[in-house]
Amino acid sequence: MKLALRHAFVLLVCAFALFPILFVVSAAINPLGTLASSDLVPNGASFDNVAKLFSSDIYPFGRWVFNSVFIALASSTASLLLSMFAAYAFSRMRFAGRRVGLLALLLIQMFPQFLAIVTIFMIFTRVSELYPAFGFNTTWGILLLYLGGALGVNTWLMKGFLDTIPKELDESATVDGATHAQVFWKIIMPLVTPILAVTALLAFIGTMSEFLMANIFLRDAESKTLAVGMYGMIAGDGRNANFGMFAAATLITAIPTVGVFLWLQKFIVSGLTAGAVKG
Amino acid sequence: MRIRALGVAAAATVAFGATACGGSAPTSSAAPSSSAPSAGASATADKGSGKLVIWADPNRTKALKPFAEQFGTENGVTVEVKEISKDNQQTFLTASQQGSGPDITVGAHDWIGNLVQNGAIDPVNLTEEQKAAFSPIALKAVTFNGQVYGAPYAMENVALIRNTKLAPDAPATFDDVIAKGKELKKAGKVKEVLCLPVTAKGDAYHVYPLFSSAGGAIFGTTSAGDPDPKQVLVGSKESQAAFEKLAELGEKGDAALKTSLTNENSIPTFAGGKCAFLVSGPWAMADVKKSGVAYDVTAVPAFKDGKPATPFVGVQAFFVASKGASKTLAQEFVTNYVTNPDVAKALYDADPRPPALTAALDTVKAADPDAGKFIEAGAGGIPMPAIPQMSAIWEPFGIAEAAVVKGSDPVKAAESAQKTIDGSLKN
Amino acid sequence: MSLDVREAAEVTTPPRPRRELTTAFVVSRIAVLAVAAAILLYAVPPLVAAESWISLTLLLLAGAGIGYLYLTRRFVPAKYLVPGTVFLLAFQVFPVIYTVSTAFTNFGDGHRGDKAAAISAIETGSVRQAPGSPEYGLSAALKGDTLVFLLVDPKTKQVQEGSPDGLTAVQGARLGVTGKVLEAPGYTVLKAPQAAARADQIAELAVPTRGGLIKANGLSRAVEGRAALTYDAGCDCVKGDGDSWQADESQGYFVNAKGEHLAQGWQVNVGFANFIRVLTDPTLSAHFLGMFTWNMVFAVLSVLTTFALGMGVALALHHPKMRGTRFYRIALILPYAMPAFAMLLVWRDMFNRDFGLINQLFGLDVDWMGGMLSAKFAVILVNTWLGFPYMFLVTTGALQAIPRELTEAASIDGAPPWYAFRKVTLPLLLVALTPLLISSFAFNFNNYNAIALTTDGGPFPAESPTVGGTDLLISYTVRLAFGTGSAQFGLAATMSVFIFAIVATISAITFRRTRKQEDVYA
Repeated sequence: MKLALRHAFVLLVCAFALFPILFVVSAAINPLGTLASSDLVPNGASFDNVAKLFSSDIYPFGRWVFNSVFIALASSTASLLLSMFAAYAFSRMRFAGRRVGLLALLLIQMFPQFLAIVTIFMIFTRVSELYPAFGFNTTWGILLLYLGGALGVNTWLMKGFLDTIPKELDESATVDGATHAQVFWKIIMPLVTPILAVTALLAFIGTMSEFLMANIFLRDAESKTLAVGMYGMIAGDGRNANFGMFAAATLITAIPTVGVFLWLQKFIVSGLTAGAVKG
Repeated sequence: MRIRALGVAAAATVAFGATACGGSAPTSSAAPSSSAPSAGASATADKGSGKLVIWADPNRTKALKPFAEQFGTENGVTVEVKEISKDNQQTFLTASQQGSGPDITVGAHDWIGNLVQNGAIDPVNLTEEQKAAFSPIALKAVTFNGQVYGAPYAMENVALIRNTKLAPDAPATFDDVIAKGKELKKAGKVKEVLCLPVTAKGDAYHVYPLFSSAGGAIFGTTSAGDPDPKQVLVGSKESQAAFEKLAELGEKGDAALKTSLTNENSIPTFAGGKCAFLVSGPWAMADVKKSGVAYDVTAVPAFKDGKPATPFVGVQAFFVASKGASKTLAQEFVTNYVTNPDVAKALYDADPRPPALTAALDTVKAADPDAGKFIEAGAGGIPMPAIPQMSAIWEPFGIAEAAVVKGSDPVKAAESAQKTIDGSLKN
Repeated sequence: MSLDVREAAEVTTPPRPRRELTTAFVVSRIAVLAVAAAILLYAVPPLVAAESWISLTLLLLAGAGIGYLYLTRRFVPAKYLVPGTVFLLAFQVFPVIYTVSTAFTNFGDGHRGDKAAAISAIETGSVRQAPGSPEYGLSAALKGDTLVFLLVDPKTKQVQEGSPDGLTAVQGARLGVTGKVLEAPGYTVLKAPQAAARADQIAELAVPTRGGLIKANGLSRAVEGRAALTYDAGCDCVKGDGDSWQADESQGYFVNAKGEHLAQGWQVNVGFANFIRVLTDPTLSAHFLGMFTWNMVFAVLSVLTTFALGMGVALALHHPKMRGTRFYRIALILPYAMPAFAMLLVWRDMFNRDFGLINQLFGLDVDWMGGMLSAKFAVILVNTWLGFPYMFLVTTGALQAIPRELTEAASIDGAPPWYAFRKVTLPLLLVALTPLLISSFAFNFNNYNAIALTTDGGPFPAESPTVGGTDLLISYTVRLAFGTGSAQFGLAATMSVFIFAIVATISAITFRRTRKQEDVYA
């Protein structure tokens, strides 16, 4: 394909991607800061909404940013490891129940979880009494909860990737006397950085915008994540009045994600050169 | 409706929030027997005495905090106000059931029926004196099966908010509203004839004054004059005629009612001077005042030769959770603290909704005439029925409203709404 | 399965000499033991304190099992699978099992708790103030070490002591302006904070009187009340108000002779009643085919559009000479980085007929959410916008695994780019991505938010207000089970079992068809 054609196509998709976001940007810098006053072209440009966010005495916004980033980083790192372990076992080992396990992993995600909320209260009411550090309103508690979804789809993504890496690599290492742990850490892990980076990013984004669980789990203003806190801004009557602040918050939410992406991008792209070695 | 109204609402009939005080022995079996909740009760009971937890929605959390803290200081306890922003009622019920609920929750009075059938709240015992201090309609709203289940603190209903620069005279009938709106639109002075949120799925609450004035009714009335949930009249001849009237005002008619008008855009459109009439409640006033538009608040007028336009009245109330860890404190807070006019006045300052306490309302009226005007506009209103089945009615009614506004056949819409409501009430 | 067993046998008897104890081996085992000990040290004491012996036993068994697993050299796959599985079981499998078990009950509003809780609620809710009895001013006080009530009759200003033994008159008490007792000889009157600290004792104290019981109402008032309804274990019924309600264990209500029931009920097993209700629901059977077809169209199109667009841009950027990829990539992941609920609402407003950006921008007057077809188009468009960055990211990742030589070899052979893509790139991509496509299909099949936050199922034809033009099975279920004000969890659980059966069957069939493909590369 011609390069110019590639650029044209990508630019078109970018326009589609950014179009609604421009609306949010204009609402965020619009000094009137209400929903109806928002248009693609703002009435003026100011950073009032951002300033209001960080100086608000109702919304501990800085704290929310910190909570979100911390929870997202911790949970994506942990779930990355868990799903990588599982993917390694599923891709490289043959054991009874492997197929069933893989299929079950896929199917379990498909069950509509109407009663998830009831079960969360069931489990964590008890946990809150016994181990307050992991109970409701705690970062550690919600991290545990998020790890429940660690295996989910990520295992499949990584297993698929591992399947494309020639088995001979680790088999020869095993013959040389390496343990399965050495093979995993020293041979497999370095080879899969691109997909690790992609999965980490997906997990990070997923946690940053997770709302349903966090909303019932985190009820203290100080313990909330961005998504939960922001929902509170526009829930009820505040929808119009707070829309400018909300839009600003939406954009700020994207900053850590973009940061993580910029950081991880080199690992994703490094795969381009690594591919040459692998072949 | 199969729920039997318990007892007669005699004047002396007062509830009081106490657990297990029936004379007979079996009440001891009232302790929850499943292991998780009972462990929860016993474990939190020890530390519970010094802590009061209140759940509120985002509109009220901020307003409540200072008072909650003051109560805490006065009584030497810690009070925590927590914001729940989504599905407040269901979250409260689920959390309560599992033993992680609050001691007090703030909510609309129409939750009461459902909270009671789940045993989630206790009756609130108010003295005769305290009860007399409330506006009668607010007290009626929180009374369910003859018991008072919450302490009301604010009332809200819709009224007609008018841009006095565009429409200087208060319209006598709703036909005048439409005529004036159309005239202004024709002159290019406004964009919309009327700002009344219809939304794609209809909004029974906002349109009800018009619907009732056109002769429609959701319920029949009991001999006492209360709405009777046993007779649903959405599909009746009168209601069909009312839907017909809404259709005339709709997109194929006067274009005063439009499904594109939503709760999000109707208030800002009015505040931006792009429509002269807004049907909304006290929550709109913050935006309206900020915009600097000259306005006045009057009751939604009736149609010419129509019946009175009755708005629904909603009451915000404090409820005592029956599975809370600090019930005595919760009762103290709800019955003796928030019923104080000073507290009610201060709550108004933080979140301007007309107070349910008459004394507080009088103070507020002096400083802010709008509050009084809203109360006057709601004087002929009826409290939204608090029966759990009510939302089986809201949605089909709303869908019928949206359909006729878009031009569907009113008779068919009314009939299928009635059929749907009957079907779901049967289950 | 037999194949799996043979494979497993090959792995567990490795054709290599047994290794000696290495430092790494010893250190890692000590680390495992240390972590296990630390967790147990933290977790055990609260369980002992709460006397939850069953939980304690389970914890110790699990601890021992996991400890053994990591100390032995056997069960290698389990070592890798257990950590994630533990969390999966607790927070995903348990809710699913619980949901399925709920399908056979009437769990929902009015039937949340057990019978004892319902009885307690009925009795508490029926407590009325004894006619003509005073509303006492209450001061909690100590007589010696025992908590008693000092009750002031507001009219007569007479002070009485209330204890579990009944009422006795108190002489010489000094009253404050508010009518509360300030001092009384022989008593230590508790100040507000002291009383608050004893709130639980105050709540428990009941003073018997002729007509009923005096109980505290908050900290400063007390009321004499009587429960109008009481439960009688002998007849298993609730009596009072001149009527009697018999417990009906089949529906979880107390029912009187007229067939009316008390509001508060309890949770009972209803067998297959929920399943029968779903299967015989007239609306569902009339509209099922249409709803299911649209549901399939929505899910399949959502997968196809997001995948096509995401893969398209990933391929376009996957070229060594491509410049500005960093900028492009950031722009492309932004839709995914925004909170979805916020953007769904923004999109909904953009599609508004009179106020929306789309009509304004393109000079249209389309009632997007009001027309059957346009609403369907709108929700798919919005869903594409929300979902394509995910596909873009995973394709980008998966593309890195495809050796460039393969595609280059194909193009050197003179094959057109399209041919190379179809014969080399796409099949390799699909190896890694098919499971994701399946799971994306399943996700979108039940994508409640995408509908609820945009059209909420609408538009609704006037003649069928229950099934909207964009309703998915899941959004219809939510309305059926929760729309009537009371949440009917049992019914919702039943519906979710049916929906799961549908999605799982479709997915499993698709999965089977890709299975052979996977074996080629695995």
